[in-house]
Amino acid sequence: MMRALESPATLLEPLAEPAAARGRAIVITSGKGGVGKTTTTANVGAALAAAGKRVVLVDADIGLRNLDIVLGLESRVKHHLLDVLEEKVSLDEALVRDKRSENLYLLAAAQTREKEDVVTAQMKALIEQLCERFEFVLIDCPAGIEMGFKNAVAGAHHAIVVCTPEVSAVRDADRVVGLLPSAWRPELIINRLRPQLVRKGKMLSVDDVNGILRLPLLGVIADEPGVIVATNKGEPLALDPSSETGAAYRAIAAKLAGENVAAPTVRVPANGSFFSKLGSLFGGRA
Amino acid sequence: MSGRRIVITSGKGGVGKTTTSANVGAALAKRGHRVILVDTDIGLRNLDLVLGVEKRIVFDLVEVVEGRCQVRQALIRDKRFESLSLLPAAQTREKEAVSGPQMVRVIDELAELADYVIIDCPAGIEHGFRNAIAGAREAIVVTTPEVSAIRDADRVVGKLTEAGIPLRLIVNRVRPEMVKSGDMMSVEDVCEILQAELLGAVPEDEEVIDTTNRGEPIVLDSTHRLAEIYDKIARRLAGEIVPFTNLNAPGFIGRLFTLWKAG
Repeated sequence: MMRALESPATLLEPLAEPAAARGRAIVITSGKGGVGKTTTTANVGAALAAAGKRVVLVDADIGLRNLDIVLGLESRVKHHLLDVLEEKVSLDEALVRDKRSENLYLLAAAQTREKEDVVTAQMKALIEQLCERFEFVLIDCPAGIEMGFKNAVAGAHHAIVVCTPEVSAVRDADRVVGLLPSAWRPELIINRLRPQLVRKGKMLSVDDVNGILRLPLLGVIADEPGVIVATNKGEPLALDPSSETGAAYRAIAAKLAGENVAAPTVRVPANGSFFSKLGSLFGGRA
Repeated sequence: MSGRRIVITSGKGGVGKTTTSANVGAALAKRGHRVILVDTDIGLRNLDLVLGVEKRIVFDLVEVVEGRCQVRQALIRDKRFESLSLLPAAQTREKEAVSGPQMVRVIDELAELADYVIIDCPAGIEHGFRNAIAGAREAIVVTTPEVSAIRDADRVVGKLTEAGIPLRLIVNRVRPEMVKSGDMMSVEDVCEILQAELLGAVPEDEEVIDTTNRGEPIVLDSTHRLAEIYDKIARRLAGEIVPFTNLNAPGFIGRLFTLWKAG
């Protein structure tokens, strides 16, 4: 708390850690859009649920929801987060149970409303309420750092930052980390890595990215067309026992659940020789 | 005569708005048009990186709006295309630092200095989006052939239509081999769903990540297959009727794109 108050860049104060019996609310954020927040939320959530945890996924991208599609639940969404906040329906009426897992639920975003319609305090209260019923509350944050971001972060206890090996994504991730409560130690998932491009010096390596961000590394996910196919079909790869990417998501889930898991599964040669411009872009998180 | 004001938008992030802005802008400049690119992603700017001018930023959009400098002082001229300039976004401010009417004034002023003012919109449909479209008279909606991107694009098409802004579509990151195997929607499907006219289809190309990281828009390399595609987009924007590239030609696999009549 002290550190959070001292930091001028901190927008939001961290909540107290949840009591032992209660769930953990984790926001999945990135700054830049299209780096894989929603895919990550769906896959990590599905993997946690498959491992027996009670999980609810909250789509905070009001007006541009997509988590329902990635889970293949779009036709089952009847009510949404704003309906709950505005007390039009009960939480139970709005929660959509996953087709495959009885441990996994979705609270969808409203599609025809605006992010400004959410009252931050109500959002916090809702996440608290969900924490009483679920072991993991994963909040899928919208792109950007506007009101939607602030609301998504408001009720969380912890953050996962998703970043791709691109200079622009790293710059945006760095900005987002600076806006999160400084008492948090956000964990990093590096998404869409192409080891063969890293080897050729045509893509940032894990070390390049994390040399800038300096966050605990939760996982590395390789780029593979299968993710697009899975997303279009609404079937998270995390549930495919033959998929390497699925295995990487399951390892991330196991880590989040507190298991001792070995380092990220994508093997990439160490490569310290990336573009000199990278370092000069980030003078630290002002 | 004042220049055209075109916003490049998408709803969903990461589909290629900034890359498209840089490459379409550079392609227009290569043809001799005077182009000003405006980065409206205040707080998360990136167009400067994609153009490789991040070290030359002195003033930004917010400072122009606040009257701290003249608009001409804030423009960064590209060293490779001298008719291309950038008005960068502020990095340490919020989108609310600028209002819609203020944006209209800045874009109007820029339109007196250029043939094309290309406005790079932030992701989402919040305040930053509303600012970006405020001064625009036309729009290019960028989407990828993915369900989530199309759904977001549909929302944006609705908002643009409400605002009376005509739009055309760029379908980005098409993988012809995935379209062929039925694992990806075709460009025709995307246009059909969005009921929008096609301005161009751009295939996925892994080199784009590298050139973006290096701050060198891919159109700089005239021999690159994407340079031709962006050039055709620039010509279509300028009013020429240009046939769509056949992605079945050597180097391309997949569906034909010649089915569309150019706008």
